[in-house]
Amino acid sequence: MIKLSNITHLYGDKAVLQDLSLNIEANQLTCLLGSSGSGKTTILRLIAGLETPKSGIISIENRTVTQNKQILIPPHHRHIGFVFQDLALWPHLTVYENIAFGLKNRETTPKQSKKDHINKTVFDMLDFFGLQEYAEKYPHQLSGGQKQLVAISRSLVLKPKILLMDEPLANLDVKLKRKILQHIKNLSQSSIFGLDLSIVYVTHDHKEAFAIADKIVVLDKGEIEETGTVEEIKRSNNKFMKYFLEY
Amino acid sequence: MKNNLYTVVLVAFVFLVVIPIIYTLGVALFVEDSFSDNMQLLMDKNTFLLLFKSIMLASIIALLSTLLGSILGFILYKTKVKFRSFFKIALLIPLFISPYILAVAWKDFFYFFFNNTSFISSYFGVILVLTTIYTPLSLLIVGSALSNINAQLEESGLVIVNLRRVILKIILPLLKPALLSSFVLIFIFSISEFSVPAFLGVKVFTTEIFTQFSAFYNHSLAILQSTLLILICILLLYSERKYIADAPFFSVGNKGTSNKLYHMRNQNRLSLLVLFTWFIISIFLPFLILFIQSFKNGTTQFIKAFELLMLTFSQSIGLAFIGAIIIVFVGFIAAYHSTRQNKTQKRKSFDWLLLIVFTIPSTIFGISLIKFYNQPKLDIIYSSYIILLIGYVGKYSFISAKLIGNAIKQIPNSLFEAAQIEGIPFFEQLRKILFPLIMPTLFVAFIISFVLNLGELGTSIMVYPPGTEIMPIKVYTIMANAPQALTSSMTLIVFSVTLLIITSFYFMIKPFIKKNNFVND
Repeated sequence: MIKLSNITHLYGDKAVLQDLSLNIEANQLTCLLGSSGSGKTTILRLIAGLETPKSGIISIENRTVTQNKQILIPPHHRHIGFVFQDLALWPHLTVYENIAFGLKNRETTPKQSKKDHINKTVFDMLDFFGLQEYAEKYPHQLSGGQKQLVAISRSLVLKPKILLMDEPLANLDVKLKRKILQHIKNLSQSSIFGLDLSIVYVTHDHKEAFAIADKIVVLDKGEIEETGTVEEIKRSNNKFMKYFLEY
Repeated sequence: MKNNLYTVVLVAFVFLVVIPIIYTLGVALFVEDSFSDNMQLLMDKNTFLLLFKSIMLASIIALLSTLLGSILGFILYKTKVKFRSFFKIALLIPLFISPYILAVAWKDFFYFFFNNTSFISSYFGVILVLTTIYTPLSLLIVGSALSNINAQLEESGLVIVNLRRVILKIILPLLKPALLSSFVLIFIFSISEFSVPAFLGVKVFTTEIFTQFSAFYNHSLAILQSTLLILICILLLYSERKYIADAPFFSVGNKGTSNKLYHMRNQNRLSLLVLFTWFIISIFLPFLILFIQSFKNGTTQFIKAFELLMLTFSQSIGLAFIGAIIIVFVGFIAAYHSTRQNKTQKRKSFDWLLLIVFTIPSTIFGISLIKFYNQPKLDIIYSSYIILLIGYVGKYSFISAKLIGNAIKQIPNSLFEAAQIEGIPFFEQLRKILFPLIMPTLFVAFIISFVLNLGELGTSIMVYPPGTEIMPIKVYTIMANAPQALTSSMTLIVFSVTLLIITSFYFMIKPFIKKNNFVND
């Protein structure tokens, strides 16, 4: 599904990823787990095409999207959705407008009865997440959890094949976290709205990863320490893993 | 497309604004026949003595303004003093009023109370007037720095030492860049200021340049003298380049950091007294004196002044309006490029051009424009309002670019990345995301540019084409031979019109900024 081959990436002079190779399989929820500075967000941004690596190749669904320091396929043609850590909801647009904005600009949106089509798609999405009554509210009028759901809705409405999530649940209380994690798990396990979705989820919290992941990739200082299912990671004898899971 | 637009604006700015300056300096240094004679004159002891006096004068003004601005800034931005919001706006007013207006007012003050203006027509007078004008600039710089100190840094100090130690050991060291910037900027403005010493009849380096240029027609010497001033300004700028080039103090709204405010129980009345006294000195008293002087012999002179100025209103406002639109456009292009593009070295070049032109003394900038555009092929610029507009754009685009740049910097990059992933085209991102979010700042940049254009004198007096009827020039040219009451009346009218415009814009923008406050949430 997603293949990163020999990726090296620098911020200034500092290498954040060193010759990293990684395969992310289709229709799974893969967690990139690691402490801050481990390179997990960078991997997400490279997959999205928001950064260009110093060297290496990235391919999605057998199409090379980045190669030789060049973005071959721009972000909006990669069939991805991205939920940013700060959610990046446009503060001057309502919930409805935030979700509909991308749809209005998509060439694939049928021209005839475009407005009706957009309306239906947006309200179906709002309905699924229980946000219908907030359609006319602005982001600053929502709670933290509602904002997360709007950000997820905005990413899903364009029917991506891959959903990239960058610590989307940071700063939420445990109860809300559980609720949203359940939503994410449901999304990854069913074909809602005809989605055939793979999720790449970045977190530093191993409990969060254990709760939702099909597969976990543990990172440290730009290198992969361990890869496996939740059970495999729990059983790992890797020294770093034991230290990391203790804290 | 976006880079093409940037290139067009940059090239136009270089051709219309920067090349005249380079050309004029080049001609004076390398082409004029009288170069060696003028170099001897330039190296004369008296020239250096005058330069030394001007440097001392500017240093005193910069020091006093920074000190006063810091005190006022601390009271307004760090304490819960009463009427904070009012004073924060009101005390900035002198910054937007032409310096010569305050010079006239203070001259009237000494005339009215002492029947003698010799005291104000001296270095003391220049220091007094320019300190009242530049203290608000220091207040703006220091206030902005104070409100951006993370509250936790102060609170972590407060749990172990008293407030005085926190101020001395934590707040002051953190303020150091802002204090230095305030000093450097005010020094540059003071040493470049022409209208106040000229009106008060005090000989300084800028008035000497003007005399060489206008009275003796020795353009070459005037430009050589200007080069000295430009060198001093650039040297100072270079020493303080990072903070001033970034100009974080030109911004609308807060930057999202929490600001710690102190209860000054015992000093609360004293703080209020300080604010009130400064308000009286810098705004109320000049206005009152102009008012008294204008009407002490009836309304005849006031009516005459109004009739004289009435012709200038439409042209002044029209030119200031068009100038402000161009300044906001140039400022936006420069700001967008420098904040959102990746190539760090290249992206700063436009910023630096704007900053250098901004700090070049107005008279010198004016001389450069005349020398360059006074050619048959460029007559369309030389003999029309275009030359005035070029003057405005050259002088004030830096402020507009910084205001807009600081607003763009506050918008998280992820808002644009999210749009990019959704496939929103570039111009749609500008129209639907960027512009609505920075609209209050664009509006403020427009207002500030408009008010500054309206009062601009230093460059305009050099370049205004025949038949031009704009307010500051009309007042300045009539001043020399008019009765005191007429001068006061004209100045009062310009003062009132400027105040009226600032006040109406303030009330227009207030709800607008409140409505868009979510941007900073």
